[in-house]
Amino acid sequence: MILVIGGGPAGLAAAVAIARNGQEVTILDSAPRAGGQYWRHRTRVDGYKSEKSAMYLQEVAQNPLIHFISGANVWSASRVKDGFAINYLVSGNELTVTAQKLILATGAFDRSLPFAGWDLPGVMTPGAAQSLLKGHGVLAGRRVIVAGTGPFLLPVATGIAAAGGTVVGLYEAQSPLRWALSPVALLLNPSKFAELLYYAKQVRKYRIRIQFGKGVTAFDTHSAVVSRLSSDLEVVAGSEEKIECDVVAVGWGFTPDVTLGGILGCAQKVDLDGTVIFNVDQNQRSSQKDIWIAGEATGIGGSDLALVEGEIAGLDCVGIGISPSLAFRKIRKTLFARALQKSYPVGNGWKKWSRNTTKICRCEEVSLQDIADSVTDLGAFDSRTAKLFTRAGMGLCQGRICSRNVSEIVAGLQGCQVSDNERIGYSNRPIATPISLGELSDGKSTK
Amino acid sequence: MSAPINFTFNGSTYSGEAGQSIAAALISQDQRVLRTTRFDEAPRSIFCGIGICFDCVVVVNGIANQRSCLVEITEGAVIVSKQ
Amino acid sequence: MWFDLQDDVGDSFELEAKGGVVVARSDDSALMALADSQRLHGVTAQKVDSGELHSLEPYLHPDLHSGVFYPQDAQCQPMLAAAHILRTVIARGGAVISHAQVKKILSHDGVLHSISTTQGDFRAPIVINAAGTWAGEIAALAGSHLPIAPRKGFILVTEPTQHYIFHKVYDSDYVANVASSDADLQTSTVVEGTRSGTILIGASRERIGFDGSMNYDIVRTLAAQATSLFPVLRDVNLLRVYRGFRPYAPDHLPVVGEDAEIKGLWHSAGHEGAGIGLAPGSAELITQLITGKTTFMDPAAFAPARFARVSI
Repeated sequence: MILVIGGGPAGLAAAVAIARNGQEVTILDSAPRAGGQYWRHRTRVDGYKSEKSAMYLQEVAQNPLIHFISGANVWSASRVKDGFAINYLVSGNELTVTAQKLILATGAFDRSLPFAGWDLPGVMTPGAAQSLLKGHGVLAGRRVIVAGTGPFLLPVATGIAAAGGTVVGLYEAQSPLRWALSPVALLLNPSKFAELLYYAKQVRKYRIRIQFGKGVTAFDTHSAVVSRLSSDLEVVAGSEEKIECDVVAVGWGFTPDVTLGGILGCAQKVDLDGTVIFNVDQNQRSSQKDIWIAGEATGIGGSDLALVEGEIAGLDCVGIGISPSLAFRKIRKTLFARALQKSYPVGNGWKKWSRNTTKICRCEEVSLQDIADSVTDLGAFDSRTAKLFTRAGMGLCQGRICSRNVSEIVAGLQGCQVSDNERIGYSNRPIATPISLGELSDGKSTK
Repeated sequence: MSAPINFTFNGSTYSGEAGQSIAAALISQDQRVLRTTRFDEAPRSIFCGIGICFDCVVVVNGIANQRSCLVEITEGAVIVSKQ
Repeated sequence: MWFDLQDDVGDSFELEAKGGVVVARSDDSALMALADSQRLHGVTAQKVDSGELHSLEPYLHPDLHSGVFYPQDAQCQPMLAAAHILRTVIARGGAVISHAQVKKILSHDGVLHSISTTQGDFRAPIVINAAGTWAGEIAALAGSHLPIAPRKGFILVTEPTQHYIFHKVYDSDYVANVASSDADLQTSTVVEGTRSGTILIGASRERIGFDGSMNYDIVRTLAAQATSLFPVLRDVNLLRVYRGFRPYAPDHLPVVGEDAEIKGLWHSAGHEGAGIGLAPGSAELITQLITGKTTFMDPAAFAPARFARVSI
């Protein structure tokens, strides 16, 4: 059996490619509905090119060769005699599925940067605002600021406005002129102009104020401090202004979820943007036999690239050759993904947005001062040693939110760069999602 | 529209639609603070919204550390911030 | 000794004499015999009945009836302890050279001369090998022989919980397993809470060399043993798993003393799972041996010479 883990664009495209070639495929996803974080919906899909996502969702729902297991949280995976055993939790019960071939399409989550007040209610990621709205029909707040960097801010801001929310401002930290750094990628992806035009119309329709080169650098529940930022995210002195709002949705690109592939031993590397991703060949094969990886976990590239990678993985998995046109589409989309990374870089100026008391590790409530003390007083020299001294990254989220930031802070205090080994180290964890000791005790051995 | 689902949070009654998460239902009724932290007792709410950050954890029917952004409301559920 | 060390270093590393409880499963005669012999050696070991056991640990399974309470059993946060001790070493004039991997150990006519590391060469009349599981490799670099091998272990760490576990709680077969020479996997429970609210569950022991791979079956076994002691833990989530390699010697006793072949090379290694607890005692003993003072205990059982190579 072929198992796809993750029901976002990459996973769905893989499953559709497999089923169209007459083979059965099962998709495991943690959400109640297919679509992943990007194609979020409750009853119908809307937004740019919604007919495309609707087509995939419809095929997944109707093709009898595609089985969709929703609400499945995979906590561990291992290689067994003739394939893989995937252990997952569905509403509190542990189940195991075995598969001969695996396609991992585990996606990504918003990257967050700390600033004074970022742990107060009212601060959330754009993904959270999007999930509240599209997944649950709830507006995140009355007066919302959308900020950070990257094209994902546009659908979030226009979505909130379209649902009747007030978007006080959309602050994109980087200048749109940075796209001039990647002329070839733009010329090879003309469809992106149409997408941009679509959002430009939406922005005008809902009178959203977009400002470039600015970001939220503090929040106090009733207002946010919006500052002019350099391209390295350093605050331009004296540029701070107070803007009244009750919610700031702020995100700084994405962090690929590499946990499962890491558990299965798939080789990883560090991408241009400092994220840890998998090494895959042109057919999305990982370093481990019978495991393909597609979508954000092989490099942040957005849904267009994820769809192409998913299709390639699905086809290769059932032994169908990749057509030159599909291969060329992947090259085009990959170039565009590179251009995205160049256009929306995340520099290290954010380290000064925190006060000494600001919690860098939200789970274990470890402050910037605590981390600095662990370096200067106790000799911490990387995120691992800082974690052992301060507990930063040891909480419920297992460092998914703070590890990279802690790592950059420690490296900054030592005047060095974060090594690739350290990045791969903090991106991996042996337990993919918490599982109760009771469920573990009752579970059967997979040998 | 299906009938509203009723549940309690820290002793007060709230309602929401079928399929809504606990966090979404509470936020839609202006209940933004979902818990206070272990050490500083600082208020926390939804943050990542997709089950990654565990900032929105609450106690659902006696089971601690449930992510309120993922767990859907059920009729009569007893939800509290802390045990 | 740990408390003296903490006073000396003058800082807190979460040292706490919380006490240990060893719980008998059914037949408690072996455990009680062990407690009797420990008492002869000055260890406070109090036999507890069902009522006392459950007042010490109210969440223990009601079917567990007897055990032994060790009020002196203590725990600390070892990383913090190491950091504070290192800081004190520097404050008292010592130097700490980190990221220095030992490459060569030179000796002339059986007398230690110098060591070469990735951070430079160092000459010293005395070198103490406290390289834990890798102590045998250090001895080999010097041309000597020390049979320290890895005994792999997993420790489970839960999410922060309410206060369920009040002491360090051992399953009585833990005591038997530690001393076992069987290479196969052994798991026996030791459960304890930490200051941060998490619960630690150990411990598996297996001799499979330096194989760092994950084994979810061991994770399940440890969870099952812990929940059979404390049913309340069934609803508590596992967050992460530590993997590590304990350094053990064939006779399960530490190696503390001068090398049998190289003069000037001293060893303090092979404490298996008890290295943190025995650290101040081992340090005191090796210091007394090196400085020629009267030792506080007979060091003969720990002499490296007990593993001396037999020449054929």
